Amino acid sequence: MEIAVNLLNGISYGMILFIMASGLSLIFGVMGILNLAHGALYVIGAYIGLALATQGIDFFLAALTAGVVIGLLGLVLERALLGRLYKQVNEQVLLTLGLVYIFSNVILWIWGPVTQMGRAPSILQGGVNIGDSSYPLYRLVIILIGLAIFVGLWFFQEKTRIGAIMRAGMDDKQMTIGLGINYGLFYSFIFFLGCLLAGLAGFLGTPVIGIAPWLSFDILLLALIVIVVGGVGYVQGTLVGAILIGVIDSFGRVYFPDFALFTIYLAMIIILLYRPTGLLGRAQ
Amino acid sequence: MKTGRTDLHALGMQAWRGRLALYGAYALIGVIIILLPPFVSADLKSMITKVLIYGIFALSLNLLFGYTGLFSLGHAAFFGVGSYTAAILMMKYGIGNFWLLIAAGLLAATICAAFFGFIVLRVSGIYFLLVSLAIGQLLYSVAIKWRTMTGGINGIAGITYPDIGIPWFTLTSTSFYYLVFIFFVICLFLLYRVVKSPFGHALQGIRGDERRMQCLGYNTWLYKYIAFVVGGLFAGIAGVLAIYQSGVVGPTSLGVLTSTVVMLMVIIGSDRVFLGPVLGAALVVLLGHYSSIYIAERWPMILGGIFVLSVMFLRGGVSIHLVRLWKKVQYRYGST
Repeated sequence: MEIAVNLLNGISYGMILFIMASGLSLIFGVMGILNLAHGALYVIGAYIGLALATQGIDFFLAALTAGVVIGLLGLVLERALLGRLYKQVNEQVLLTLGLVYIFSNVILWIWGPVTQMGRAPSILQGGVNIGDSSYPLYRLVIILIGLAIFVGLWFFQEKTRIGAIMRAGMDDKQMTIGLGINYGLFYSFIFFLGCLLAGLAGFLGTPVIGIAPWLSFDILLLALIVIVVGGVGYVQGTLVGAILIGVIDSFGRVYFPDFALFTIYLAMIIILLYRPTGLLGRAQ
Repeated sequence: MKTGRTDLHALGMQAWRGRLALYGAYALIGVIIILLPPFVSADLKSMITKVLIYGIFALSLNLLFGYTGLFSLGHAAFFGVGSYTAAILMMKYGIGNFWLLIAAGLLAATICAAFFGFIVLRVSGIYFLLVSLAIGQLLYSVAIKWRTMTGGINGIAGITYPDIGIPWFTLTSTSFYYLVFIFFVICLFLLYRVVKSPFGHALQGIRGDERRMQCLGYNTWLYKYIAFVVGGLFAGIAGVLAIYQSGVVGPTSLGVLTSTVVMLMVIIGSDRVFLGPVLGAALVVLLGHYSSIYIAERWPMILGGIFVLSVMFLRGGVSIHLVRLWKKVQYRYGST
């Protein structure tokens, strides 16, 4: 039973990583922008959601609001700064790296260094009996939410017109623009959606992993590892990568507690040695 | 024909004179650094030492970033490995000889770079950045967890000046300053020879168009690998020197924070001018020092602000603009 509990812990943790990393992967895959400030956006989203939830606003409404606010913040970043640096990958990375420092410092300034935990909404606070132990219901719901977001993103990517434009643009952007697609507007939408997912993940994660200012780097690294392991650009790869990393981390913490993060980095290096483009990535 | 020849001759003379003026300027800076210690405070002396050490570090990163086009966010790993090797040998095993310590630090950093180079160079482009970042963080987490050796999150403190093998001579802050200056000049010279050699030109070719270099028959992987290892070697030297400047070594010296700060030095100073990273190191160290006196808790924000400003408005770094200014001055006064 202990193995089942660890597995569920790993999967629910992986789902939070998935929601977060799918936004990062979406932006990177479609626009070619590696937004290192994604982790900081996750943290800001978590704090905004917490602030709303402590005001007595409904949990899911708070989550959605946090997501939209972060999405709008991302939109401002895209329009004001990143939009001027298309195709200059190094400059984008350096710019967003600078934003990480600024955001982390602002977060520390406003919310202080203490780790805060969120509270699951009252209807989800109980446990579910698995064998002889009780498992928190909220973590199971996180898994369901993650799966729902996966299905939504997959449907969006594979079955909608915008998704078709997206895939076309990833293959040949010039041709897509040549066919009369307004790519600028489309980029802004993708950036908004990606950042929204970061803010949403941040708040949904607070009852499970809590929130602290220093998480902005840690969670970013985990998300980067997820998309490297899973392969960039496709939501299926991100899901596989996220669950794998979540489960490895969960078991690593139990069996090799002294080498908690070490196991993840090691797993990433081994997977990359085996497949340089990630598990489900396209050949370069 | 005749006039053409004299024109060429005049042009040659002019270029020669320009170069002489440039060497004169470098020599002047060198002489100032040599004569400075008696006249400045201990604080400033320590800071110039730090600038020279980080200058070596930034130059070593620029061999990868500016010359080869490898965007590494894990370069501090080798700096930190050099630091930790020397610090552990000195504090845990009682080895006090400076030359042994620097040799060990250099060797450890080189071996590390040679090992991780195999992994990180399997991938390219943005993946290179991510994997190099992960390698830095991997060593960072090792440094935190391996408490008995590394002192965990607190690192190793209380490092004193080493014994440089001359019986009647002990290092002081002033003689250490000169020692670092000598190391700086040697590293500068060696790295300059590397980038100006056929090997260095091949690296720049790889940065420009790797596939073309492959078509020309270059084994580009091997070139990148050697550049990575050489970069790690020089970062290791800087790492060993840095522990005597600060007296401590902690896990952050391996991690992403140090890697990004040294990247900022390269960017702000310029990755296209050989000495640019040194100027960047000077700017970042000075700015960091003064802001830590006045507004310590806002330093990350200032650092981030410099990143954003230098990317958005200062393309190519400060040195590019200095070089342009120098050319303008030469054009105006040199032609008379």
